[in-house]
Amino acid sequence: MTNNKQLELNRRTVMKLGAGVAAVAGAGVNLAPNAFASEPAATKAASLGSRVSRAEGPLKVAGKARYAIEQKLENMAYGVTVQATRPAGRIVNIDASVAKALPGVIDVYTFQNTLKINKPTVYSKGGGATEEFTPIQDDLVRFNGMHIALVVAETFETATEAASLLKVDYEDGDAILDINDPEAKPMLIEPMGVAWGDAKVGLDNAEVKIDVTYTTAREYNVPMEPHATIASWENGKITVWEPSQWVGGARSVVAEFLGIDIENVRVISPYVGGGFGSKIGAHPHVGLACVASRQLNRPVKVSLTRPQTFTGLGGRPATRQTLSIGASKDGTITSIVHESWNETAIDEVHVEACNNVTKIMYATPNFSSRLNVVPVNTVQPGWKRGPGENPSAYALESAIDELAYALNMDPVTLRLANWADVDPSNNMPWTTRQLREAYAAGAEAIGWWNRNPAPRSMREGRELIGYGMAAGSYPMIRTPSEAKIVFHTSGQVEVLSAATDMGTGTYTILAQTAADYLGVPVETVTVRLGDTSLPRSALAGGSQQANNLTGALVKAAENARTALVRLAASDPKSPLQSLKLPELTFEKGTIRPTRRPAGGISIAELLKAVGKDRLEIEGNTFASGATEDMKNAADRSFAQLKGATEGSVSAHSWCAQFVEVGVDEDFGTIRVKRMVAAFDSGRIFNPKLAESQWISGMVMGLGQTLLEEGYVDQRDGRTVNANFADYAIPVNADIPEIQVISVGIPDMQATALGGKGVGEIGVVGVAPAIGNAVFHATGRRIRSLPITLEKLV
Amino acid sequence: MRTFDYVRVENTSAAISEAAKPETRFLAGGTTLLDLMKLNVERPAHLVDITRLPGLDTIEVSTDVIRIGALAKMSKVAAHADIMDAAPVLSESLWRAASAQLRNMASIGGNLMQRTRCTYFRDPGAYPNCNKRNPGSGCAALEGINRNHAVLGISDACIAIYPGDFAVSLVAFDGTVLVRGKVERRIPIDEFYLLPRQTPNLEHQLSPGEMIVGIEIPRVAALKRSHYLKVRDRASYEFAAASAAVGIEFEADGKTVRDVRIALGGVATKPWRLRAVEEALKGKPIDEATLRTAAATAVDGAKSSGHNAFKIELTPKVVARALMTVGDIA
Amino acid sequence: MSAARQLSLEINGTRRDLNLDIRTTLLDALREHVDLPGTKKGCDHGQCGACTVHVDGERVLSCLTLAAQVEGRPVTTIEGLQTADGVLHAVQTAFIEHDAFQCGYCTPGQIMSAVACIREGHTGSDDQIREYMSGNLCRCGAYPHIVAAVRDASSSLKEAAL
Repeated sequence: MTNNKQLELNRRTVMKLGAGVAAVAGAGVNLAPNAFASEPAATKAASLGSRVSRAEGPLKVAGKARYAIEQKLENMAYGVTVQATRPAGRIVNIDASVAKALPGVIDVYTFQNTLKINKPTVYSKGGGATEEFTPIQDDLVRFNGMHIALVVAETFETATEAASLLKVDYEDGDAILDINDPEAKPMLIEPMGVAWGDAKVGLDNAEVKIDVTYTTAREYNVPMEPHATIASWENGKITVWEPSQWVGGARSVVAEFLGIDIENVRVISPYVGGGFGSKIGAHPHVGLACVASRQLNRPVKVSLTRPQTFTGLGGRPATRQTLSIGASKDGTITSIVHESWNETAIDEVHVEACNNVTKIMYATPNFSSRLNVVPVNTVQPGWKRGPGENPSAYALESAIDELAYALNMDPVTLRLANWADVDPSNNMPWTTRQLREAYAAGAEAIGWWNRNPAPRSMREGRELIGYGMAAGSYPMIRTPSEAKIVFHTSGQVEVLSAATDMGTGTYTILAQTAADYLGVPVETVTVRLGDTSLPRSALAGGSQQANNLTGALVKAAENARTALVRLAASDPKSPLQSLKLPELTFEKGTIRPTRRPAGGISIAELLKAVGKDRLEIEGNTFASGATEDMKNAADRSFAQLKGATEGSVSAHSWCAQFVEVGVDEDFGTIRVKRMVAAFDSGRIFNPKLAESQWISGMVMGLGQTLLEEGYVDQRDGRTVNANFADYAIPVNADIPEIQVISVGIPDMQATALGGKGVGEIGVVGVAPAIGNAVFHATGRRIRSLPITLEKLV
Repeated sequence: MRTFDYVRVENTSAAISEAAKPETRFLAGGTTLLDLMKLNVERPAHLVDITRLPGLDTIEVSTDVIRIGALAKMSKVAAHADIMDAAPVLSESLWRAASAQLRNMASIGGNLMQRTRCTYFRDPGAYPNCNKRNPGSGCAALEGINRNHAVLGISDACIAIYPGDFAVSLVAFDGTVLVRGKVERRIPIDEFYLLPRQTPNLEHQLSPGEMIVGIEIPRVAALKRSHYLKVRDRASYEFAAASAAVGIEFEADGKTVRDVRIALGGVATKPWRLRAVEEALKGKPIDEATLRTAAATAVDGAKSSGHNAFKIELTPKVVARALMTVGDIA
Repeated sequence: MSAARQLSLEINGTRRDLNLDIRTTLLDALREHVDLPGTKKGCDHGQCGACTVHVDGERVLSCLTLAAQVEGRPVTTIEGLQTADGVLHAVQTAFIEHDAFQCGYCTPGQIMSAVACIREGHTGSDDQIREYMSGNLCRCGAYPHIVAAVRDASSSLKEAAL
């Protein structure tokens, strides 16, 4: 069933994605348009770099932040999807008669009464979709848990009951259910391989070698807000309220689903209850909601149940990596040989770029890395925070720890001994790499040098104590974007962008940026986000958004200053009209004569004087001469995305993670006692929010390391723990005190304002740091995640 | 969820007479019942809301017995000062279960009626084969993902685990379930739960129309020196990988065992009393080696179904540690 | 057939007369029928705590409570926590101050849980706060800041009571 044509990916796109298009951190603010928030959140406080509290905080703590599917629409119908219970084969028949007979059921949609949903264009082919699969278009069963029907009813209760009443007959087909299935047919993703020197010879000649295999489990993003949507078709146009990391992408996908002009689609994402990479693409259930709404000519709300969020969209695929590292006895790495495999859907390709950290972290004269995908009958996997970098760092940084013990060398010392002065994969200079500072700060904070390095040498009562550390990186990607500033005669300043804020802090830092660059009080700034009717923005993914948007907003602010001064000098009704352009200065929100500081007028006064209600000024970071098509592409695809090596310099965020664990010597239960990490994310726009992002990543990393694993029944491919009781994510009691330290410096080669990525770097390196600490505590090296108690008992 | 009739009753007689209707369930905290109704595992036609029955939420600790009304909330019992003092194991097995919110909802009687967390049992849409739901249909768990299935008390018809904590304490300390139906009955807790054998659909001794109205626990010396140890991957809000309810009474020398109580949770198809281990320890002075030797027999007769083999390794260690804790040698 | 039932609920001090399918949970009644979507649905099975509200002043999960069960028992949701003139509760303020949330979706449940946790007296130590706040999942991993916020709010409420 595997379609090898799928492998004909656009090479350039693949390379870019290999460089790290990614999941996202945290959640965000939505200074929402009036349509969906009664009161836009306004920030109260200081300038860029200060610890301003989250702008939308007052709305969120009061329960007044209205998320996508919390819009109140008249005549709403409720849709519930039904998912397959077999992994492969065909659906022979779906008998919906009992369901349809239930009073209140409006209709049941299956492949037998097809509502057409067109295939969307996936990102690797220039579109905005993360999977090509569209439900109810044919009888083919691709994986257990795929949507096979939508039941629509007048109430949620009726729709839910009716969904349980469908009788589905299957004809089973052969399924591949596991990355290790001997029947599986791995496919090499040649363009994403990397090699230099002669890795085999380097390894053969090495004095010390380690040769290891590391695996990670299928993981799920499971943001607390389940994936859900409201689609409202009206007079040939559709409005979709969708929790989204990327309304521009969702808009293009919805237009494709429906086969309508994109101008007739509006996507609104007021607040987003977490995404972590799983809300970048509009998933297949969105298509179901859209076509049902068009069919019924009324709003339809489709919410996935929590179990359905495990198979209605994909999480991080299971991975396997082999890694051989050769070194001389003094600890100089002479060769790294790496190969990885990850699951992908049976007829689609998702590559987990497991060499993203491997290829840049250490200086080595010889290197080779190959990536493979293994098609299995699963939902198409997706991006989960730090995609690529996360498993890459897990294998590499665990193996480096193994090498350190093989060499009888301190792990930090070994890392410093193999410091890469330039990006070893391309010999480009780093923009900034404050990783030595990170090692020093993290080691100091955790008390690294006080540990007894011998395995199983430290204990407290019945608990074995271990310290572990690991490094990590995340590439700095960028996409040109635009922003708009609207000045009002009331003195209010609006900042507009289509971007969404999932808790990442976009609302807050944009208000800070506007206040800073316009010299106006931050409380006069209102930020509106999350709506395709607003200025174009790339996705909130890949840790790029803050830098994309602050860059665009600063351009808008600069344009505004120029425009305001020009207006003051030129408009006949301007009080400053007597002065020439060079004689005017813009300062602290006022336009004043350069030689007479006290003679200025505020922006609002100027607008009133010249008789304007409002003044709209745009700014952007598009290349000069960019066409509308290129600008739209930045908003709706990855075509304008610039990788980490744009400009022949290599730009990345860096981290050093340190942990202390306690392992019960009888039970094998691991409790992380302390976590410390030092981060180089360049200039920090708001330390309070950045720290939250880093901690957030570290907590997610702890869950990945100790708890999270999708259990797939090998008889039928069903994820049997698809819920929050059986797929355990960390609870409060799992999380110790966490200390985060910023060691970054402004990186003006990386971005306009000197910031680097924040959201994803926090999760990178956590798993190897904990795994290494478990080895230090117990003397046992566990090479598969998660490290649940049965692996140590 | 199938629809149902809902009736709220004001007294126990009315509740019992309502329950005479077929396909009836009593609704108390709802934390198991509504959950399973949403999963289409429980499909009652009639719900009898008993949460407002008067007089059933009392907690009494007298000199020789502890009496807890069936409608007392888990949280209230866990935090009851006299319970905490007289019977730490009861309090601990309650507050280490579920979450604060669920414990505020769940009643003691309902807690005893908690049903298994077997993922196959809980997924009727995908797995019609479940002997507990559909007698004779088979068991999907036997050869499925059975990491959290039982290793003790299993049969070839069912390996579903008993998931609770509190009943494990009751089994260790010879609790009695007080039942009211057409007649009043007292059922020893160890007999209350049934082994699956070939009829895993039959889980307990209650007949239709019977209602748990309370429990009694005799106050023995070992109850005062008792402990509930719950081992799990997640630090809280998770079912046990293995747990032990233990209590010990020493002779006057402070180290020789006069009485000892041990029961297991998280590893068996019902709360699992370890009488043989208890007998092996009685009359002996305790030290770590003695406890570990005795605890090794805790899993006599245990059988792995594959993913749950670790429970057989883990269980003796949990028993030993729990006893070391109450013996002050941990 | 779905049996509709006339219910009279008391939510945030206001009486709400509703005609609901008997199967309607308190959570769905709040979100879909009385336009109080501050209470969140994260799992619908008592596994995440996002739907935490107070019934009779105690924290419970509205997803495993039938709307019919709370007739005559006062319900408080996140929307009812602040004073009538809009002054935020000390816990709400502390959550903002400590940045104890990011996406904000678990936040109403965390806050309702925290208010009850303090009232119950389960804030004696950071470890006790962690244990008694473990019924509220947060995928953004704001736990350390949640602990700090609960600790601070607890002591400020104690001071205010003196």
